[in-house]
Amino acid sequence: MSKHLASTFFTLLTLLTGSVGEAFAQEETTTSSSDVTVNDTPAQSTALVTPEQWLEKMGNALSTLNFEASFVVLRPGLDSEPYLWRHGVMDDGTQVEQLNLLNGPGREAVRVGSKVSYFEPNVQPYTLASDTINGPLPDEFLANPMGMIDAYELVLVGKSRVSGRAAQQIRVVSKDRSRFGFNLWLDQDSGLILKLDMLDLKGQLLEQIQVTELDITDKPNPFFDRLMAASLPEKIDIAPVPDRPKRWAVGYLPEGMKEVKRDIHRLPITGNVVEYMLFSDGLVDVSVYLQNSDEVASDQDILVRHEANTLLIRKVDNLQVTVVGKVPPQTAVEIAASLHILEQP
Amino acid sequence: MTQQNENLSAFVDGEHDGQFNLSDVLNDSAMAGKWQRYHLMRDTLRKEMPSELNLDLSASIAAALELEPTILAPKRSWRDLPVVAQVVPFARQAGQLAVAASVAVAVIIGVQNYNQPEQQLQPYTSAPTFGVAGGMSPVSLEQTRVLPQENMMEQRRSINAYLTDHQQQMRLKTIQLQKQAEQQEKLELEQTSR
Repeated sequence: MSKHLASTFFTLLTLLTGSVGEAFAQEETTTSSSDVTVNDTPAQSTALVTPEQWLEKMGNALSTLNFEASFVVLRPGLDSEPYLWRHGVMDDGTQVEQLNLLNGPGREAVRVGSKVSYFEPNVQPYTLASDTINGPLPDEFLANPMGMIDAYELVLVGKSRVSGRAAQQIRVVSKDRSRFGFNLWLDQDSGLILKLDMLDLKGQLLEQIQVTELDITDKPNPFFDRLMAASLPEKIDIAPVPDRPKRWAVGYLPEGMKEVKRDIHRLPITGNVVEYMLFSDGLVDVSVYLQNSDEVASDQDILVRHEANTLLIRKVDNLQVTVVGKVPPQTAVEIAASLHILEQP
Repeated sequence: MTQQNENLSAFVDGEHDGQFNLSDVLNDSAMAGKWQRYHLMRDTLRKEMPSELNLDLSASIAAALELEPTILAPKRSWRDLPVVAQVVPFARQAGQLAVAASVAVAVIIGVQNYNQPEQQLQPYTSAPTFGVAGGMSPVSLEQTRVLPQENMMEQRRSINAYLTDHQQQMRLKTIQLQKQAEQQEKLELEQTSR
């Protein structure tokens, strides 16, 4: 009982300090925007005072440093997944990156410049045009840390020790509390990511990415020399989807979430044709699907969790609406409920 | 033929005795299909399946391309694209579909129940027919209901299709983001030139 009380008190305390810290941080961002240019000089880079500056440092580090990191993805109740992650900048300035799942038959992705090749069991290897490798780390956030600033509030929490290094903790909370929260630890020296916790709205851990070893080197790993010479699978050219007349829309979107794309395509496995929209807030992605509901006709909502993903299938009249993404079930339900067909002009 | 299958199976398990000729697989599309399925079975049995499978990205890309004829340069069909042309006929084999269906079950095992405390508070009118350890359980925010058993396979396939597609869409996202960035630049250029 006393433990319960203590934890409630602690939550209250963190809430209080959190909101105070947020207010403080916001004040700081408004006042310090003119100082940012001053702080860009390397001599003063150690004195980072706002979370935005820390994210900027992370972004720079991720694109300029040669490093090799081992990290583990932990999800409560599921097997842990160990990964090897390398990044390098070659002599000609080309960025190279490798992400390798170390358990089981493995999965590997390598990036050379803006081409990413995926090697996975049971699929022919293929190459896509992309500046980021899609893996357990939120790739859009790593490539463009400031892209999520419209959607989330950032709070510098304090310093601690992670992976044997001095680390700066940053709390990331969605502005309208409609998405999961994050705790981010960055290496004090380099700004590289050391740990990332995803927490549900009650503060319970959903997914944890923990770096166990980090090496920063002067030269890119020799692996990349072999990679540059090796012939990678041929690139699959996919043109961006052209704009189409909008036939349906969602009335509700979490704050800071934007439409990335809209198309009609076939689902894998079932082959059903779906109308599709992809949304992103710079940190998490949400897919919304619309299809005729003749096959899996169930009047009930289906709400399941797969790893940290929420999946909701809801029947609306003779349509089936599906929402998938790393968002709380309430948010998925609200998005699905707000879907409406637009009047044709 | 059966002997050949036997040899292939042994080879996949790393127990072949020199009887097996790898070039048989390369030259025989039926054997190639078996090769793929045997490996999938082995991985499933050894519990080494990846948590997400992107079984037929090539097929879905091809399907998307088929639906989007306008996105290609004139006088070129998607069959002319080097990779797709090679991949698609193979992916369209019935065997590929069978593989995908069998995977659906393996993947969904990772689904966890929502709101477990609340669930316990709600009395079941009948004993739950599924939702056993490691299984998947449909939970609505308001109520908990048991779904008809015969729909389960179909639903698992459907759920798995959505999860797989979501994963694929995230990979293809940057193409779209780059396009948006270019459009933004164009807009800004137009505005400045005025």
